[in-house]
Amino acid sequence: MSPTAFGWLILLFPLLGCILTAVGFRRERGVSAGAIGSLAIFLAFVCAVGALITLLGRSESSRQVTSSLWNYTFTAGVDAKLSILVDPLSVFMALVVSGVSTLIHVYSIAYLKSDRGYARFFSYLNFFVFSMLLLVLAGNFLLLIVGWAFVGAASYLLISFWYRRSTATRAGIKAFVINVLGDVGLVLGTFFIFRHTGTLDFLRAFHAAPHVFGHNSTDLVAGCLLLLVGAFAKSAQIPLHTWLPDAMEGPTPVSALIHAATMVTAGVYLIARMHPLFELAPTAADVGAIVGCLTLLVAATIAIVQTDLKRVIAYSTMSQIGYMIMGVSVGAYSAGLFHLMTHAFFKALLFMAAGSLISAMGGEQSLDRMRGFRKAMPFTFLCFMVGGLALSGLPPFSGWLSKDDIIAYLDHRGGGFEVLGILGYLGALMTGIYTFRMIFRAFFGEPVEEARELERGHLFHPESGFNPATGELEDADVGFPGPEHHIAERALAMKAPMAILAFLAVVGGVLQIPGIDASISRFLSPTFADSHLAGLDPSTGSAWVGLIIGAVIAVAGIGIAYRVWVLAPGTAARLQARLGRLHTFLLNKWYFDELIDLTVVRPAGWLGGFAESVLERGVIAGGITGGALGVVGAFSAGVRRLQTGFLRYYAAAMLVGAFGMALYFLISA
Amino acid sequence: MSLSILIWLPLAIALLGALLPPRLGPRAVFVGSLITLGVAISFVARFKSGTAGLQFATDQVWISALGIHYKLGLDGLNVALVLLTTLIFSAALLWACLRDWDRSRNLFFQFGLAESAVLGAFCAQDLALFVAFFDLMLIPFYFMTGMWGTGPDRVRATTKLVVYTLVGSFLMLVAAIATGALASSEHHTPITFVISSLRALPLSHTSQDWIFLGFAAAFVVKMPLVPFHGWLPDAYKAMPIPAVAVFSAVLSKVAAYGFLRIVLPLFPYASAHFQTLMLVVAVLSVLWGTLVAMTTPDARMVVAYSSVAQLGFIVLGIFSLQAQGAQGALLQMLNHALVTAPLFFIVAALALRAGGSEMLADMGGIAFRAPVLAALFLIVVLATLAMPGSANFAGEFLILLGVFKAKMAIAFIASLGVVGAAVYALRLFIRSMHNRVGAGVLATSDIGLRDAAVLVPVVLVILVLAFYPQFGLSRSETSVRSAIAGARVQQHGQPTATTAQVAPTP
Amino acid sequence: MPIAWYLVVSALIFCIGGVGVLTRPNPLVILLCLELMLNAANLALVAFSRMWGNQAGQIFALIVMVVAACEVTVGLGLIVAIYRRRLAVNVDELNELRG
Repeated sequence: MSPTAFGWLILLFPLLGCILTAVGFRRERGVSAGAIGSLAIFLAFVCAVGALITLLGRSESSRQVTSSLWNYTFTAGVDAKLSILVDPLSVFMALVVSGVSTLIHVYSIAYLKSDRGYARFFSYLNFFVFSMLLLVLAGNFLLLIVGWAFVGAASYLLISFWYRRSTATRAGIKAFVINVLGDVGLVLGTFFIFRHTGTLDFLRAFHAAPHVFGHNSTDLVAGCLLLLVGAFAKSAQIPLHTWLPDAMEGPTPVSALIHAATMVTAGVYLIARMHPLFELAPTAADVGAIVGCLTLLVAATIAIVQTDLKRVIAYSTMSQIGYMIMGVSVGAYSAGLFHLMTHAFFKALLFMAAGSLISAMGGEQSLDRMRGFRKAMPFTFLCFMVGGLALSGLPPFSGWLSKDDIIAYLDHRGGGFEVLGILGYLGALMTGIYTFRMIFRAFFGEPVEEARELERGHLFHPESGFNPATGELEDADVGFPGPEHHIAERALAMKAPMAILAFLAVVGGVLQIPGIDASISRFLSPTFADSHLAGLDPSTGSAWVGLIIGAVIAVAGIGIAYRVWVLAPGTAARLQARLGRLHTFLLNKWYFDELIDLTVVRPAGWLGGFAESVLERGVIAGGITGGALGVVGAFSAGVRRLQTGFLRYYAAAMLVGAFGMALYFLISA
Repeated sequence: MSLSILIWLPLAIALLGALLPPRLGPRAVFVGSLITLGVAISFVARFKSGTAGLQFATDQVWISALGIHYKLGLDGLNVALVLLTTLIFSAALLWACLRDWDRSRNLFFQFGLAESAVLGAFCAQDLALFVAFFDLMLIPFYFMTGMWGTGPDRVRATTKLVVYTLVGSFLMLVAAIATGALASSEHHTPITFVISSLRALPLSHTSQDWIFLGFAAAFVVKMPLVPFHGWLPDAYKAMPIPAVAVFSAVLSKVAAYGFLRIVLPLFPYASAHFQTLMLVVAVLSVLWGTLVAMTTPDARMVVAYSSVAQLGFIVLGIFSLQAQGAQGALLQMLNHALVTAPLFFIVAALALRAGGSEMLADMGGIAFRAPVLAALFLIVVLATLAMPGSANFAGEFLILLGVFKAKMAIAFIASLGVVGAAVYALRLFIRSMHNRVGAGVLATSDIGLRDAAVLVPVVLVILVLAFYPQFGLSRSETSVRSAIAGARVQQHGQPTATTAQVAPTP
Repeated sequence: MPIAWYLVVSALIFCIGGVGVLTRPNPLVILLCLELMLNAANLALVAFSRMWGNQAGQIFALIVMVVAACEVTVGLGLIVAIYRRRLAVNVDELNELRG
């Protein structure tokens, strides 16, 4: 079979899974929905492997294959077919997406077992995977936008999965609207590119770009900046990031899948895919790099003070994606994508472990309430630890190799980019701090009541369900979130995927070790063959220097966390008291939400109210319509007065009229 | 088979239905609409795309002294719209058929009359005939609003509707007569109202200008665009559900179609001259409709104002005077009709569950016991907000692309409407289906066969079109290019060169 | 005999009929007066027809008579219907057409 045939199958299976679970929702009260859903994604993964193998069987120069089914929007110069592009980059992404998704599907089988929305959940989840795969396999701009928006919609559906919670529906609409903003950016950016290249097809557009665009030409920079708007919205980069922390309202597997491992990395994929354009428009690429760097710093500072477990991980995700965006913007494509892959492993793992921990707490997510789960949940602790070490970049975990690969490239490229590299190290220091703050607070110290119960072999169940964000009681009759809680120690379906991911988080780095192995960059090289930045890799020696600096910084970060939260537990409170203003500022997430509320949401509301009450009621209904109706009304009232209903008046009027006419003809004759 | 059969069949069956017993009459009219749908499908199947000329043309002299012909024909502009009309009427009649009405035979007769008139307006190839059908199609809606309408304001709503549309129709009548008369006097030819003949007799620039405004007035009132929509809130609120579904889905399209069929080909100079004005009015409608739909507390009004915004997009596409924009506008006409009609039916289903109230505040939490309704509603909502992947997105993409090429700033402003659409559409969905169970919600049962029989087929059509939007594009390109060619020449002083420069193939 | 005499008689009858229509309250009388006016017109038609020596006027007169007969039938029927519904048979009180 050809790579493209596998490509179509990769798309087909999740779509079928989605439809099957959706249509059969009444029959699948048991676990069959989970089995069908997981199987569908697993088959997609198998096909992705098939695509990989067939692709490797071709010569390097012919590893970019397109295939189209039928005309999608093919008119008046617009040449969008339903086409996919199978090349190393898309296969790489498809492998990561379908692989991690399979594990998360399996995890969800146990995690959402007692939820009344079980079949709906798997249907949405399969739809999400279908969308994400469509995004990465799309062969033209239009289909890319379709996948892009489908992903946003799936994310919306999953965030507001527990739709009886008003916090969840509000978070859902927020995520959706910001994502639509990104879609619009993508659409307008596409217009700029289409205007000059005259095609929506990726390969043809990239081929034409150097001929029709000058270096840094205005239209291209504008187009690339608009594409970046799309990338920022989806990848939660400043200032379009505010939806991501709120998105933690969704079930934890959703956070693991969408808001950590796959969807939020779409921006990274986009920039990597569009590299021929970004390399022609270095100004836009620099903007991407700077925003990525800012995001990684801002998110890391916020993560240090947040108390909601899932939100801390969410901010850490933002920060890590900042690294990737920064990397692919400056040309470190294989390093950025490598980090994307390892991040998918360890961040999914962290979320899964966090889900297990939250279950043990009976749905409570606040770090303030958690303590001392190390003995009660050894497996979860182990997984959390592996994920945390990989995230902070400690050797030899995968995160160490991938993150420092990006920073080494920055330092090597020069031209002012070293500054970004140094800031990247600062971010790495904070990463160590916030990650281990989380671990030390949740797993170390005197065990809380729930942990003690668990040590005695008894899983804590709250009396009634409540919304962890507001403390509000749940609708009792609805049945979601499900009444039961499941922890990794007791559910094999949760344990197995976590074990696999933990293994990958440890050894995933071997694919790319400076001077030893370069599988990732070698595999991806056909996609980046036309790039003049991709080959700019640092020498083995300087790469190792970077790796060593990174390791030292990671150790330092972990050490600081150990000092503050384990050795001298009062330090955090003292720091908080001394730096009260800063703490409030960070706790309020740099006031981004308030800023957007003040500049966008409220003015829109006011305008809407103004349009409805003043313009609509006053001007339109009162002035224009009222005026028109008034004129007609007055006229008809006048006519009505003539209609007395008395026969003799009508007869007289007729006679007078007849006489008048006769008189006229007499005079004129 | 002649087009006359297609357009008069609904009226004939409606007359027959009026004579049958009250139980049978409505069903007969519904079956008649299905037969009409079948006839329309047969025409679409036999339609040959790629040719610009009229197909299945009928041409008879009607009033020889005035040069008025009974001329009908299909081309790329109207072939899909004819199919759409018959489909929407079938859906609305099925919905109405499954419910009890006072004076039902009379109501269904009005529907039959309306369908004939709309089909006539779409097929007419003579200016006078078009005007006649255009006015005829409004008459049944006056009666439907006045006699079967709901709410205390229905009389006032009917008055507004009558006054607005009649003023528009009057201006259009004057403009149509002037077109024929001035064309014959300026070129010293016998008077004619046949559109194809009039295209060969271009008017002077000053005449084009004021005649354009006459037609435009009628069309923008009918759609409606801001600020000519004063009749819309009351009328949409008062009309019975199937009537408002048809009105919003099909009748507004006749007006948009009128721009492509009559205004652009016959008054190319004025179309280019007033392009900016029309684009500004359209973008104003997009923003205004979006803003009001975002804040109004009434579910039906959300749908109504979203229509204002959507029609703003359609006019944007037409007056971009680009092939992409006009193609997108035609596609969007289909798409909008396919989402707005089911939305009105869904609002009715929601109101039934919320104790008869159409206020969003009285709804909420319906999704849990009504998963099928929720799924159908969600698909329609996502299509409404022009989610990429729906045909609505393909339409909006082409429209924005056309506007982008014509006036970049307006494309950027209009794209705010796309973001706003996400807000109002999701707000409608969440407020009614999600969150806690609303105060007024009496029952949260799932939809029964009565609603599903209407909604499921329409949603299937939406899905099919989402996978294959080319259906709405493939037949029309030649006709669209020919329709906008004149205006483009006026604008650029060169024959059509709408294809973007083609990139070298790798 | 010159035509003027016929026309004078016709005009007189027409005026008598017209005044009757305008002044009398009883619909029955109004109907009679209408008949007078119609017949005045008939007289003029026949007279002109004689003068020009063709038959068109005569035929018109015959048609008017037929129409008048129909009109009387309908009119009398209406009056009887009004009377049956015990409404006043007085045109001044029958102003249902008031706008």
